[in-house]
Amino acid sequence: MSDRDLTRPNDSGRNIPPVAISETSTLVNPTGSWKYIMPRYEDRVAPCNAGCPVGIDIEGYMYLIGQGRLQEAADLLVRENPMPAITGRVCHHPCEDSCNRASLDEAVAIHAVERRLGDMILAAPPPPAPERTRTETVAVIGSGPAGLSCACFLTRMGYGVTVFEAAAEAGGIDLRTSTRVGTDVPWTELDEFDAVFVAPGAHVGKDSRIEGADGLAAIRPGLEFLKEVNAGGRPDLGERVIVVGGGNTAMDCARSALRLDADVTVLYRRTPREMPAIPQEVREAKQEGVEFEFLAAPIGVELEDGEFTGITCQRMELGEPDESGRRRPVPIEGDVFTVNADTVLTAIGEDCDLSFLPDEVHTTWGLVEVDALGESTSAPVFAGGDVVDMPRSVADALGGGKRAAIGIDHFLREKAGEDVTEVPLDALRFGGGNVSALRYTNDEDPIPREAPVNETVTWEQMNPNHFHTAPRHEDHFHDAIDLRSAFGETNFGLSQKEAIEEAERCLNCGVCNRCELCLIFCPDMAISRRDDGGFEIDMRYCKGCGLCAAECPRGAVTMTREGI
Amino acid sequence: MKKVMIGNHAVSWGVLRSRVEVISAYPITPQTQIVEALSDMVADGSLPAQYIKVESEHSAMAACIGGSIAGTRTFTATSAQGLALMHEMLHWAAGGRLPVVMANVNRAMAPGWTIWTDQNDSLSQRDTGWIQLYCETNQEVFDTTIQSFKLAEKVNLPVMLVLDAFFLSHTSEPVDVTEQEEVDRFLPQREATFKMDTSDPHAFGALVRPDAYTEMRWHQQEAMREARDVFREIEDEWEAITGRRYGAVEAYRAEGADLLLVTSGTITSTSRHVVDERRAAGEKVGLIKVKMFRPFPTDELRGLLAGVDRVAVLDRNISPGHGGIFAEEIRSALYDVPPEDRPTLFGYILGLGGRDVTPGVINDIIDNTRSKAQPEREDLWVGVEL
Amino acid sequence: MSQTIIKQHIPRDDLLASGHLACPGCAAPIAMNLVLKALGPETMVVLPACCWSIIAGPWPQSSLRVPLFHTAFETGAAVASGIKAGLVSRGDTETTVIAWAGDGGTFDIGLQALSGAAERNEDFIYFCYDNEAYMNTGVQRSSATPWGAWTTTTPTSDPEHQPKKDIMAIMAAHRIPYAATASVAYPVDLVEKVKKARTIRGTRFIHILAPCPPGWKTQNDETIDLARMAVERRIFPLLEVENGGDWRFTVDHPGGSIEEYIRRQARFKHLTDQQVEIIQAQVEARWEILSNRVKYGT
Repeated sequence: MSDRDLTRPNDSGRNIPPVAISETSTLVNPTGSWKYIMPRYEDRVAPCNAGCPVGIDIEGYMYLIGQGRLQEAADLLVRENPMPAITGRVCHHPCEDSCNRASLDEAVAIHAVERRLGDMILAAPPPPAPERTRTETVAVIGSGPAGLSCACFLTRMGYGVTVFEAAAEAGGIDLRTSTRVGTDVPWTELDEFDAVFVAPGAHVGKDSRIEGADGLAAIRPGLEFLKEVNAGGRPDLGERVIVVGGGNTAMDCARSALRLDADVTVLYRRTPREMPAIPQEVREAKQEGVEFEFLAAPIGVELEDGEFTGITCQRMELGEPDESGRRRPVPIEGDVFTVNADTVLTAIGEDCDLSFLPDEVHTTWGLVEVDALGESTSAPVFAGGDVVDMPRSVADALGGGKRAAIGIDHFLREKAGEDVTEVPLDALRFGGGNVSALRYTNDEDPIPREAPVNETVTWEQMNPNHFHTAPRHEDHFHDAIDLRSAFGETNFGLSQKEAIEEAERCLNCGVCNRCELCLIFCPDMAISRRDDGGFEIDMRYCKGCGLCAAECPRGAVTMTREGI
Repeated sequence: MKKVMIGNHAVSWGVLRSRVEVISAYPITPQTQIVEALSDMVADGSLPAQYIKVESEHSAMAACIGGSIAGTRTFTATSAQGLALMHEMLHWAAGGRLPVVMANVNRAMAPGWTIWTDQNDSLSQRDTGWIQLYCETNQEVFDTTIQSFKLAEKVNLPVMLVLDAFFLSHTSEPVDVTEQEEVDRFLPQREATFKMDTSDPHAFGALVRPDAYTEMRWHQQEAMREARDVFREIEDEWEAITGRRYGAVEAYRAEGADLLLVTSGTITSTSRHVVDERRAAGEKVGLIKVKMFRPFPTDELRGLLAGVDRVAVLDRNISPGHGGIFAEEIRSALYDVPPEDRPTLFGYILGLGGRDVTPGVINDIIDNTRSKAQPEREDLWVGVEL
Repeated sequence: MSQTIIKQHIPRDDLLASGHLACPGCAAPIAMNLVLKALGPETMVVLPACCWSIIAGPWPQSSLRVPLFHTAFETGAAVASGIKAGLVSRGDTETTVIAWAGDGGTFDIGLQALSGAAERNEDFIYFCYDNEAYMNTGVQRSSATPWGAWTTTTPTSDPEHQPKKDIMAIMAAHRIPYAATASVAYPVDLVEKVKKARTIRGTRFIHILAPCPPGWKTQNDETIDLARMAVERRIFPLLEVENGGDWRFTVDHPGGSIEEYIRRQARFKHLTDQQVEIIQAQVEARWEILSNRVKYGT
């Protein structure tokens, strides 16, 4: 100290200016070290995807439509669902039942958007057939949705596929129509194929158990009637038609009969609540003029001079729930009545004809036993659709066909000595839903998903404050009066513009759609745009406040203590 | 161009000639005429400045600070309570190294209410980091106003020029108003060292931690030290143009004096008269006028006062609990003078709250200073009647 | 559309740098960032003492990419007046000068200078980011602190007695060309107001509610949600006042119970249900007043 010259400062090189003038930004402060929890972009699965039995990336194609990328949306849709024009019309759309938007206002009309995309695909020239890259061949029995789905996916995987169809008509692929396996072609002849997918459907109408019905032409299986109509037949049913049953077949029968100029009454032994038919079908049937008689079961026929005049019905009431969970109908003693009719169409369910299957293929309760990928007890036989134990819907059939295609591919590759590991079934599923073909084949996901977690996002994980309500576009219907004379489509769906607007109602649950709210609300400017359109969090500056996660409208940001 | 004008208007004319760009002021007696005249000048377009008629002196100084950090030449004027209200912002201007110039018309502090002169208002701001220049005549006021801007802008420190209430502010004297072209040569447009500029954005005045605050204050002190030399150079330059100079310290008939009066402000003029009379009577009495109070002209005062037998410091101010402020500062300056050269210093408190300091009072002080071996106390109160 | 894509309305360039010293979850930097985005780089900021004096960074740092002048607590409006005057005197009439003050610097100590500047119709935008107490000094009450709130100078045994000062009415009474409230939870509304203010000459005043996690005793990630709730429940309605007389709400305020808003902030946790009802009544009464201003003008 004593040596120092205190009349002047040491020349330390610090260059302290005369005033507090800034020379640098706050970027020198690693304020990110304050945090004890940090955000991570993690896309999740939208509930529609998880709820779709087909395994369609619904959220994905909605995202693409939202970006104006219609063709890519259609490509992504058909990638997972070979027949969107059909499912867009007939599927009971459980996707809409699980749509988070219902918690905000109304579910997105997913079916209508799918239908639009499906029609767009149909209107375009068909794509070239997939290249045959595999030597193996697969026989598919049945050209219903399960069979065609399986055949389609297998074809895309490069296999040779032959579809056997018992009926005279079907649609698509290498097809042998009017060829019933077990009759026209013996089962043993299928040995030439490396695998067989059994999906003949359920075509044997259950016995109506109406006493005295045998041999009466006026009492017909509904399924047979529908086939006739579908083939162009216009049978004379008389003035009054009774349809027995509460499922989709019953609704189809009722509405078809209506178009043949009959007054139609549906007889169902339980109440509207227990009806297995798609509610919309029931609604439309009612709108068209179909009458319903609930809690009534046919027990006998009324004859007058040997001529059929109607049926005797037992009045029922609901008792204890049965194994399906629905309340069992119980007869009310002595309460019997008659209903006049010219024709009775029975539609109380269908059984499968599995008589052609060899014994090694085990069945239980008339259904083929299969694992999650459709493999029966006797590989290389796989099965799907109505012949296995699952809900009988087009969507479930399509999904089963897709799973079986994966199962068959895996089986054949293993057999060919390829180094294959167990199929990562959970990872292939959308959340807990059906599998993704795109994921199985490791194709590039057109949706820029950030560190996706295969977990369905709940409404509670989202932030509804950033959404506003917008009414759902409802399908356009034909006027009910015209319906009775027309077998054509009654539901015209949505216009292109409406469908796009409907797609824009999609909340993109769980998937970042680059809305940039995280960026706007980050108090620390720690989030920046990456060149690829995603975002980057600069952990040097993120203080872990969690506003990005809290304000993310779609639950695509997660706070975690991992890595702190 | 010679004009007869009051001291306040001499300030206004100095501001006009200095082409001040931003004026912000609030009225207070006895300063008000300065800003009234400026209002006229701005209104008639002779002074194309932005004039902000603020709601308080605090805001007046704040607005000047704003104008200054925007890079412009800024001016305000005040007195007494107004200056006290500005206190916080005086620090801000000085610490921010902003060359704001302010005229303070010395007015005693209330209570009780007073509008008359003494120096306690400006001297209370001693440690805010402002250069303080005390004027004696209206000509000096005019000249000093212009010089203040040059000084302030050269050393990046604010300057307070000070004049006595009424004795100068409201008293008419002839003033030679230097022509605009000459002033323009002397004082070109300000080029700020530090300013807000969107093409080169910086923050000013952020939190400074203990590791740098002292260094910044050291810079400030160096600027104060430099201001002494700069002021001399400025006076040289001004003298070359106008033939007038005043000095940070002026010695009047001090040669060979055994008794020197030390004064500031208008008391100096009265003292000159008394010194002339005493000299005429053969007494070796002289006068030292202190114009620059901050930075304190320690070396000049030491040089002038060392070896003189007696010094009488006339303080129109009081630091309660201590003494006259000039006297205390001079005592401190003389501490390093060898004892044999150190004068006996008498500190007189007088003229507070505008009380007249007449030749008679000054004569009494000279007589008292001669008659006593030592001052009885550090503060000698003149003419106090209880 | 499911969501207003607000990024289309928010300029992209940040004029605020990371590494600033705001507490986690602080609304004040969000507000500053949005304001500067709306104003652009030709902006100068005057910053009287407030939390932002710290957020801006210590010497030799600045978190802003525009010029910034730190100043004394009560001088925001006066220094801004001076800077603008300086710019104009040198021929620059375009650069936007803003004062950026907290509630203390606006409602309390800076009100005189603000009133003076507003009365003179000085050409700058005055922003008050309001966190409802002196947060930088450790949560002391200000005249912006709401009734019933705890602060370190209004302990729970004797919480805040007075309702929040009606600063908008005060500013409107100055008949300034533009005054508005804004919220960090409504970025588009905020940015549009700032852009609009920028095109107007004279004194413009924008009051932004800025939830403060440590001062309000809330979670860091609740900031936006609380700001939004304050608007929705009519606690902090979003409005504009033009020329002091024309009042206009700028978003929907559905109203409803304020209970959740209060109960989520631990600064109110001492309040009884009856006291929460008092606040509800205050909010409703004030809404009535505001609605009348909107209807009839002032």
